[in-house]
Amino acid sequence: AAARPRPWRLFGAMCLLRLPRITQPLEKEEEEMTALMGQIELEKSHYSDHEIRKLEEEEQLRRRKESMYDDDEMLGKTVIMAQDLEDKWEQKFLQFEAASRITDADKNNNRTSLDRRLDSNLLLLVKQKIGNQDLWLLPQVEWQPGETLRSTAERAMAMFLGDHIQAKILGNAPYGIYKYKFPRAIRTEDNVGAKVFFFKAFLQSSDLSQAELKEDYLWVTKDELGDYLKSEYLKKVNRFLLD
Amino acid sequence: SSRLPQTVPFRGSHWQTSLLGFRASLPVRAQPKKKKKVDVKREQAQKDRMKKKIKKLEKAAPEMVPIEDFITPLKYSDSSRVRSLAPLSSEETERRVLLLKKWCVFKQKQDKAEKQAIQALVEAQQEALKELRLESEELYQAAIKRDEQLFPFERDGPTHTPPLPGYDPPEGKCVDITKVYTQ
Repeated sequence: AAARPRPWRLFGAMCLLRLPRITQPLEKEEEEMTALMGQIELEKSHYSDHEIRKLEEEEQLRRRKESMYDDDEMLGKTVIMAQDLEDKWEQKFLQFEAASRITDADKNNNRTSLDRRLDSNLLLLVKQKIGNQDLWLLPQVEWQPGETLRSTAERAMAMFLGDHIQAKILGNAPYGIYKYKFPRAIRTEDNVGAKVFFFKAFLQSSDLSQAELKEDYLWVTKDELGDYLKSEYLKKVNRFLLD
Repeated sequence: SSRLPQTVPFRGSHWQTSLLGFRASLPVRAQPKKKKKVDVKREQAQKDRMKKKIKKLEKAAPEMVPIEDFITPLKYSDSSRVRSLAPLSSEETERRVLLLKKWCVFKQKQDKAEKQAIQALVEAQQEALKELRLESEELYQAAIKRDEQLFPFERDGPTHTPPLPGYDPPEGKCVDITKVYTQ
């Protein structure tokens, strides 16, 4: 006997995360602790070959200054002191300039760019039309019979970002659910409401120049979600998002 | 003593039938015959002894490969290498002890927060799966199937600064001097 069709419509939504590219800044306790660990390591260590060489050369210099004897031994030999080597290395290090941790996108607060906030997770939000409202949501698409929910979510991602996107979906099971009832005007016996199942994926490809983004989209962090999502939806989404 | 011809094969003796069958056709004395048998026996005995020695060597336990990390080279236990620093003042030790206690508390809070986050994740997933089961058993079974392509999961960790575009790293040569021991 065929089961009675359920009155809930099913949607699959994709929560696409761009993982952090740089380390998060250290907390105060962590910084103090790293300093302490460095000090303890220094105290417990022995002299290395380079340090012994440096000490001996300093000793020689001091003796030469005090006693002022002829340095016949040093004639003809060009000696590179350990201190000179250290200075040379220091100079070379100062010449190198690393890329800045705060990018241009950070300064302009360009929320459509992937280069913003390199130390935290960025989440994709798109503007979709639900009923007669334009809402900011995680990309979602209705489930069609014959496919698994995971493929629904993949379809949603492909619809908004194109086929060439490379993402690693974390498993077949949904991470969260948001269910809501339709407003009384549209609600019928067979169409009570909708259930949106969220799937999580990590973005693998680093540039999205090939993506055909048609709708409005944003890449936001977890704390910025509150600016865009509605409260009930936000509560459910926050449950499965790690900081 | 009869001079046995060695180099030039000749046809003088009536014992010799052909040029090629030279050695075999000469009447050899009894002594050389014994030599042959004894030789064969001796050679066999020698071979057996060699085989026994080889077996003994193989049975002996293989020599352990020394772990170079665990053997401190002698030059580092020299007393002249000991660092000479001023002894720690009591304020410094006090500060260190207090800092370690603060660190304990900080790490405990961090661990608790992590565990709570994981718990929340698991709860959310369980709820989603429960709702899915109410909807359709088929979708539920597809959802709880193991994802074979998920593992092995590889990811490069975050660095301190983002990669510099157009950076040309300096050339260098790497010479591998690890010692390889064969057993």
